[in-house]
Amino acid sequence: MGESWFQREFLVPRRLAFNVLFYGSHIALFAYGWYSQQTNQRLAGLNSLKFSVWTSRGAGLVLAYDGGLILVPMLRNIIRVVRPKLSWLFPADENIWFHRQVAYSMAFWAMVHTTAHYVNFINVERTQIRKQTALQIHYTQPGGITGHFMLLIMMVMYTTAHHKIRKQCFEAFWYTHHLAFFFMLGLYTHATGCFVRDSVDPDYIATFPFYSTEHCIGYLSWRFTIWPGIIYFGERIWREIRARKATRLSKVLVHPSGAMELRIAKPSFKYVAGQWLFIQIPELSRYQWHPFTITSAPEDPYVSVHIRQVGDWTRGLGERLGVGPNVVASMTQAAMKGAEKDEKSGLLRGDFVELDQSAVSITLPQVRIDGPYGAPAEDVFNCEVAVLIGAGIGVTPFASILKHIWFMQKRGKLGSLRRVEFFWICRDAPSFGWFQSLLHQVEAAQADPNFLRINIYLTQKIGEDMLWNLAVNDPGADYDPLTLLRSRTMFGRPNWKDVYARMKQAIEGGQYLPGSSSQLKTRVATYFCGPGVLAKSIKQACDYHTGSNVEFSFAKEHF
Amino acid sequence: MGNLIWHEYSRFVSITASVYAVWASFFGLIYRKFFWDFVGGTLRDPGGIQPAPGAALFITLIVKAPVVPIISMVLGMAILAIELPAPMVKQLSIYRSLPLRVILLLFQVFFTILFYQGTNAAIWSLIAAGCYIRAISLGEVMEEAKANRGKGGEV
Repeated sequence: MGESWFQREFLVPRRLAFNVLFYGSHIALFAYGWYSQQTNQRLAGLNSLKFSVWTSRGAGLVLAYDGGLILVPMLRNIIRVVRPKLSWLFPADENIWFHRQVAYSMAFWAMVHTTAHYVNFINVERTQIRKQTALQIHYTQPGGITGHFMLLIMMVMYTTAHHKIRKQCFEAFWYTHHLAFFFMLGLYTHATGCFVRDSVDPDYIATFPFYSTEHCIGYLSWRFTIWPGIIYFGERIWREIRARKATRLSKVLVHPSGAMELRIAKPSFKYVAGQWLFIQIPELSRYQWHPFTITSAPEDPYVSVHIRQVGDWTRGLGERLGVGPNVVASMTQAAMKGAEKDEKSGLLRGDFVELDQSAVSITLPQVRIDGPYGAPAEDVFNCEVAVLIGAGIGVTPFASILKHIWFMQKRGKLGSLRRVEFFWICRDAPSFGWFQSLLHQVEAAQADPNFLRINIYLTQKIGEDMLWNLAVNDPGADYDPLTLLRSRTMFGRPNWKDVYARMKQAIEGGQYLPGSSSQLKTRVATYFCGPGVLAKSIKQACDYHTGSNVEFSFAKEHF
Repeated sequence: MGNLIWHEYSRFVSITASVYAVWASFFGLIYRKFFWDFVGGTLRDPGGIQPAPGAALFITLIVKAPVVPIISMVLGMAILAIELPAPMVKQLSIYRSLPLRVILLLFQVFFTILFYQGTNAAIWSLIAAGCYIRAISLGEVMEEAKANRGKGGEV
């Protein structure tokens, strides 16, 4: 993307701070581990092995640190609670990224540690400072056994976590990643063999932790690193309990565009707009949890998610509900052709079909939901102008947010929010019919024509039919012929620099936010959900136009 | 449910195992030890295990002259050249052969299991070979890369 590795890692202040803290702390711990081993008189016997033992002990301490850190970004519930307070300090939404950085670091230090130990043990055997062979240490003592097992588990976990495999077969990744349980057990018990000792034989005792700390003088790092493990385990149990609380699938709506809307009643489920949840349908798969964005507003009496039938699981769900791909495909086709004008079907594009349990001989399956989990779009009400940009299916979180804004607007509790700019970039708008009906509702409810502006960009190649549709229906009509909204659809891709430049000009000129005093900095927050390439260009536009009067901030959602 | 393409998964295991094999062989040049020397060997203090006379051949090839580590290093690099793949290997049709990979990986298992540092590389290579065998038995084939996918401007 035109920027070098150096620019990316060192010239961005936040990234630079991260690199210094993260890698700095690793190197510092390595140095401390090395030093404390080398200068420890009680370990003079081990120190006769020289560099290899110093290296292995340093790297061992670093690995303990990584083992403690690796689970921290996965404490989803705790992150959800702390992120509103701490979002200025660290990007709480980049937790998976951080998890990966720790994992890479762990792989590197595991290599250093293992290599050093291979040298250690062969030298123990040759010098006989302990009356053992190398292979006895490797394959009969706890340190060696757990170490080799952890390496094997790491190999399996890392290879299945590659994005290519995750995309192909999420289950392979999901199930093998639960080997982490055994990995963590291995990590906590790695030192129980009492390899680092000042006595001739390991000093085992009958009580926990089964070796005496008088003679077994390792770093005892498990006392610290076990806490994230315990908290994570507790969190998983808590999630399981929470998921079992009374949940009922109250309604299933099928939109002609092919999306299924599940309306779920769960009184114990509290969330804010823009968050997402995991959903599980035990009938389809007992162990799989699938993430979806919540599309209902917190004010709604139900939780809804919109599901398109694109994968195995979602197709399975469609079959289960009697609206398999074939049924939906014909509906989608009809919607794509603009069947809303077809009087015979009697369906408007915005309309939906409710699956009636009594009419169709189908029972609704049991569902369980887990969540909610955070997303940056929670903070919409803290800025003056919110720019919401959705690309393709990435538009879903904004359904909830727009609905929520609409509810808040009715109650007159908009906070500092003065204007909302909504951008939607998509290839074929008609296939998102359900979203259009929502936009339609929100737009129709606007009293102030300037509060919400909807900009829809259609990037698909325009066919002849559509062209004629536009030519015949567009001029002079009140509504856009494609989306049935008052806002006109634009064609092609937006030029972000231009969009932001105009916005900045308008804000500085004072026409955009009437009455805003020019001493105050206007905060314009952009929320984006969609592909990474687009995110980058929007972020660049934001950074480019941030000035003394207007501050553009940027936040991205992850799936 | 999901559709795992085994040879694509196996590629990652194979790369990991081969990198391990190359690194292990490098240390095998410095700290030379026959892995199976405990069979019939005697422990001497100091000096470590003295292998049984029957293992003389392996001692010659691993300890006296590190032939086995050198072979497994070259083999590991060859597998990496196929898997990553190296530009000149990519053009050969043999590059897309799954049975070739199985054979090379099984050889890697055989050589790395012989010396002290190579055990994990051997186990992982065996796993990779197993996954490739599974891919073959499922009838998977590697597709030929589409032409003209080069950088813009190139022909």
